Amino acid sequence: MNCQRFESVVSELARGRMMAAEQRDEALAHSGVCDDCASRLRDEEMLTRGLQSLAAEMEPLEAPRAVEAKLLEAFRAQRVVVPITTRKSNSRPSSRYWLAAIAAMLLIVISVVVFRWTNRTADDPRQAVKQEEPKSKPQPKPEVSDKSNEQLVQDVEKPAVDVLPQRVKPKRVRPVSPRRPESEQVANHVTKEIATDFIPLSYMSAASLQEGGQIVRVQLPRSALANFGLPVNMDRYNEKVKADVLVGVDGTARAIRFVQ
Amino acid sequence: MSDLNDNELLQLMLAGDEEALALLYRRRQGGIYRFALHMSGSRSIAEDVTQEVFLFLMREGHVFDPSKGTVGAFLLGVARNHVLRRLRAEHHLAPLGDDSEDEAPCSEPSADMCPLEDLTRAETIESVRRAVLSLPAKYREVVVLCELQDVSYGETAEILGCAIGTIRSRLHRARALLLVKLRPATSVEETSSTTVKSARCFA
Repeated sequence: MNCQRFESVVSELARGRMMAAEQRDEALAHSGVCDDCASRLRDEEMLTRGLQSLAAEMEPLEAPRAVEAKLLEAFRAQRVVVPITTRKSNSRPSSRYWLAAIAAMLLIVISVVVFRWTNRTADDPRQAVKQEEPKSKPQPKPEVSDKSNEQLVQDVEKPAVDVLPQRVKPKRVRPVSPRRPESEQVANHVTKEIATDFIPLSYMSAASLQEGGQIVRVQLPRSALANFGLPVNMDRYNEKVKADVLVGVDGTARAIRFVQ
Repeated sequence: MSDLNDNELLQLMLAGDEEALALLYRRRQGGIYRFALHMSGSRSIAEDVTQEVFLFLMREGHVFDPSKGTVGAFLLGVARNHVLRRLRAEHHLAPLGDDSEDEAPCSEPSADMCPLEDLTRAETIESVRRAVLSLPAKYREVVVLCELQDVSYGETAEILGCAIGTIRSRLHRARALLLVKLRPATSVEETSSTTVKSARCFA
């Protein structure tokens, strides 16, 4: 055995670990003829004795009794708490789900009502026309079908008219002007207003306007007109101007138009 | 119930048997406490770690897989994680795998080991304890498990999650580091013993 081989087994030798008898004899024989390896073996044996002494010194050490007491107490508490927590865990989510479901239903109902109400107010004149037309055909009253929108509305205002007697809200329907194109009436909702075309915001292309969205009415300082290259009446510079902002489905403002 | 093995006690404990917990605790707490004490050098940390290990066992004991090792190794592995976490939190320890500290000098023992009073057994033990404590964590845990707690290489490998060959090489390296740290003391001891022998010869 050489010194390098001895070095690889000296720890095991000093620790008295199991090793092949031949290898052990060779290592001991080498330490007998090599002073450096003999010194190395002595150091290792001394270290082993030191570590064994330390292990023996620490052997009786244990965790304090209080730790066991705390653990057992925690164990008892856990056993008691488990059914309560499981019951809570079962009941909490279900009640939460019920609340969420009720809130969602309420939200849906409210939104449907609002949607229908707004649609009714906007579409009533047209619906009136559409509903009137089929009725007018079989009925021998040609003068009714030839009436203009304004006349229809005026007829609607009269309580004696039998077309849509309950759904009509005359004051909202009245501003419909027969001169304006039908598409503009639908888009503007309020026909007395004059609006510019939608101006795409600088970071949006015109094509993005086709993606749909929601129109939000806002009030802006009149100076905002200048930002979009529109003329500003300096006499009314401090007044505000109405505008419709087209908000995309992602919540970003896509276009704006000014309303007068 | 005392003749049941650890795994059976664990199953009983998870089923709500308090006596099984008490028995398992009494059987295993000493090793865990001493491991944490050797690793941290702090009785309070060792106490906390012992408690945390068994609290973990109460809560998450079902994750133990008997096919992967023994309950004792499992508990020591949990203890190791808790100790390292505590030591990292208290900035007492460099991260594992940092070999830059391998040759870090042992600041405490070298200065105190020169006096002749170090030759007393208690102080020699204290020197060894400090030397072990000053080892980098990856060497310290191998020394603590293999040398001080007499855990087999295989079980140590299981606890530390590495190969047996790695354990052997780390232990070899750790012993070499310990010898370097303890050399002043051993040389003094050798010198003094030589002097005593000479005195006897002359006497």
